Amino acid sequence: MSQESANTHPILQAAQLRKEYRMGESVVHALDGVDIAIGAGEFVSITGSSGSGKSTLMHILGCLDRPTSGMLAFKGTLVSRMSDRQLANLRNKNIGFVFQTFNLINRTSAIENVMVPLIYTRKSFSRSIALEALDKVGLKNRAKHTPGELSGGECQRVAIARAIVNSPEVILADEPTGNLDTRTGTSIMETFRSLHESGITIVLVTHEMDVAVQANRMIHMKDGKIVEDLRVDDEYRNYVLQAAQSTQHELLRAKDRMEKAGQKHRVGSGEPGGSTMEPGVVIDEITPDRGGMD
Amino acid sequence: MFYLRIIWMALRGLRTNLMRSMLATIGVIIGVGAVVSAVSILQGSEKYFLDQFESLGADKIMVFNGQQQRGGRAMAVNSLKPEDAQVLADEGGDLIKAVAPQYTGGGQIKYFRKNAYVSILGATPGYAEINDYKPVRGSFITREDVRSSAMVVVLGHKVARELFGALPAEGKSVKINGKSFTVAGVMEERGTIGFLEVDNQIIIPLSTAMDRMFGSKYLTSLIVQCADTQKLDACIERTKIILRQEHNLKAGDEDDFITLTQEQFKRQLKQVAIIFAVVFYSIAGISMVVGGIGIMNIMMVSVTERTREIGVRIAVGARRIDILLQFLLEAGIISLFGGALGVACGMAMGDLLSKITQVLQLYTPATTIIYALVMALVVGIISGIYPAIRASNLDPVMALRYE
Ligand SMILES: Nc1ncnc2c1ncn2[C@@H]1O[C@H](COP(=O)(O)OP(=O)(O)OP(=O)(O)O)[C@@H](O)[C@H]1O
Ligand SMILES: [Mg+2]
Repeated sequence: MSQESANTHPILQAAQLRKEYRMGESVVHALDGVDIAIGAGEFVSITGSSGSGKSTLMHILGCLDRPTSGMLAFKGTLVSRMSDRQLANLRNKNIGFVFQTFNLINRTSAIENVMVPLIYTRKSFSRSIALEALDKVGLKNRAKHTPGELSGGECQRVAIARAIVNSPEVILADEPTGNLDTRTGTSIMETFRSLHESGITIVLVTHEMDVAVQANRMIHMKDGKIVEDLRVDDEYRNYVLQAAQSTQHELLRAKDRMEKAGQKHRVGSGEPGGSTMEPGVVIDEITPDRGGMD
Repeated sequence: MFYLRIIWMALRGLRTNLMRSMLATIGVIIGVGAVVSAVSILQGSEKYFLDQFESLGADKIMVFNGQQQRGGRAMAVNSLKPEDAQVLADEGGDLIKAVAPQYTGGGQIKYFRKNAYVSILGATPGYAEINDYKPVRGSFITREDVRSSAMVVVLGHKVARELFGALPAEGKSVKINGKSFTVAGVMEERGTIGFLEVDNQIIIPLSTAMDRMFGSKYLTSLIVQCADTQKLDACIERTKIILRQEHNLKAGDEDDFITLTQEQFKRQLKQVAIIFAVVFYSIAGISMVVGGIGIMNIMMVSVTERTREIGVRIAVGARRIDILLQFLLEAGIISLFGGALGVACGMAMGDLLSKITQVLQLYTPATTIIYALVMALVVGIISGIYPAIRASNLDPVMALRYE
C-alpha cells in the first residue's frame, strides 16, 4: 500500500488535533493531540474503547466539527480556512458519511433517501444517479420501499448508497456494522471492500476485531490519542480471523453441551439443527436499533 | 428545481402528520374563513342593495315616515299624508318633476281556487310615470279610480301568470283580503323597483288602499322625482321645506320624515359595510395570531423530532440556509393548506348564511381568495421563522448524537 500513500497529497492530513469539552470546572479531552495522514485509496479501521474519541475524530475528519486546536487539510487545503459554504460543498461532493444507526428518513422511500445529497448539489439532479448508487449496493429492486419495509442490513445499504451517490473520494463510517448481526455485518463489509477496490478511500470505526482486520491499516485509540497504527498484511489478517474462528468453535461447542444438558429450555418447536449462531466473535443477542427518523 | 425539491420534501413531511398539522392550522382556517365569508357577504349584499337602488334611479328621492324625540326616546311617527304629495307637486316649481305617494302592505289575492300572497301597493297614476313602468295589457290605475276609491287592481306580471296562466285577466273579478276587485290590467315584467319586487306585487288606487283596505290616514312613503339630477341637493332642500311647512314644524323641531337618495343610501351602506368589515377583520386578525402560534408550536415539535434528520442533512452537504428554507417553506405550506381549507369553510358559511337569511347575497371575488391565501402563507412563514432558525442553528454533531 506504500505506493498509494506516496501520492502527492494525503487525502486527509491532521496534526495535533485537540478537541476539548468544558463541563463546568473539568475539561474533557475528547481528542488529545492526534496526528494522522490518510492517503488516497487507503482502507483504515479505527478501534478503541468507548469514549476514546473515535467518533469525535470522524466528525472532525468529515469537516462536520471543528477542532479546538490543531490543523486539518483536505487534499492539501486547510479546512480551517474554508467558509461554511465551502465546507458544506466539501461534505456534499467529496465525503460520504455512514452511521451506526443508519439515520434514514423513514417517511420517504429508499431512492428518495439516496437522493438527499443530490438536493444540496443543486445540479446533476437525477433519479438515475440515485438508482445507480442503489444498484452498487445491490438494492436496485427495493428503490420504492421505505426504511420500515427493509431489514437492518438493507437500511445500511441504502445509507451507503446515500454516501456514495455523489461519488465522494472518502467514506467515513462510524460503526456501520454495530447494529447488525454478524452475517449481515460481513456482507456490509464486503460492500465496503468492493467500494475500496473501486478506488474510494475508507475510514471505518469498529469495535469488532474481525471487522477491523479487513482494512489495510488499523489504528487504535485510547483517551483521545492514537496509540497504535499498523499496516495489515494477509498473514496478520488470516491469523486474527483464524483466532476469531477458533473462539467461535469453542463457543459453538459450549452451546451444544448446554443444549444437550437441558432440552427443556427450548421453547416451542424449535427446528433441530437450525442454529441461530453465526460465524463471528460477537454472539450476544443484538437488538437492532433501526435508528430511523420520521 | 432545488426549491421544487424543498417544497416536495415539505409536502412529504406534512403527509405523515396530516391530522396534527390540520389541528395546528385551526386558527388560520378560522381566520381565513372569517375574511372570506365576510368579504363574500359584504360584496354580495352591497351589490344587491346597490342594484336595488339603482333601479330607483339617481333622480329620485325616497321620503319615509320619520322619528321624533319624545321624552328622550326616538319614536317612529306617521307623518306623510296624501295631501303632501299634491302640495309637493304644486309648489315644487321647476325642481320637482313628479311625486308619487304610496302605501305598501301585504295580503292574499284569490281567483277561484287559486291564490297567492303578494305585496299590495296603493298608488296613483304618477307611480307608473315616475318609474316608467307600464301595463302590457289593459290599463293602469287612473285619476278617476283614485278619486272614487274604485275597487280595481292591476296585477304584477308574476301574479297574473300564477292566477290566470295564459288566459286574459282583464275584467275578471278577484278577491283581495276578502274584498272583490276587478282586474284593470297586467303590468310588464320588471324585476325590482326601489326594493320592491314588483312582479309579485298588485297595485290598487291609493285611496282604496288607505281607506277601504288598510284603514290608514298616512302614507308609507313618497317618491319625489327631481327635474334635474344636477340640482338634486336643491330638490331635497325644497322637498324638506315644503314638508316641514305642511307638517307645521317649528324652527327648532326635527324633521318628522326621512329623505333618502341613491347617493345617501350608498354612503349609509358603506358605513354599515365598514362596521361589518372591522368586526370580521378583527376576528380574522385574532384568529390568524392564534393560528400563527399554533404553527410555530407544531414547527418547534417538528424540529425537535427531526433533530437527527437535520444532522444528517448537514452531514451530506446541506447549508444552514437550506435547512432554514426547508422549515420556512414547510410552515408556509402548512399554513397555506389551512388557508385553502379556510376559503372552503368561509364560502360554505357564507352560503349557509345567505340561505338562512334570504337577504344576504354572496359574491366572492377571486382577488379575495388570492389575498386570503397569500395572508395565510405569510402568517405561516412568519411563524416558521423562529423554529427554522432553531433548526438551522443546530450543531450537526450534537444533532447526530441526539437520541
Ligand atoms: N458534547 C460533548 N460534551 C461533553 N463531552 C463530550 C461531548 N461529546 C463527546 N464528549 C466526550 O468526548 C469523549 C469522546 O467521545 P466519542 O464519542 O468521540 O467517543 P467514541 O470513541 O466514539 O465512543 P463510542 O465507542 O462509545 O462511540 C467522551 O468522553 C465523551 O463523553
Ligand atoms: Mg462513537
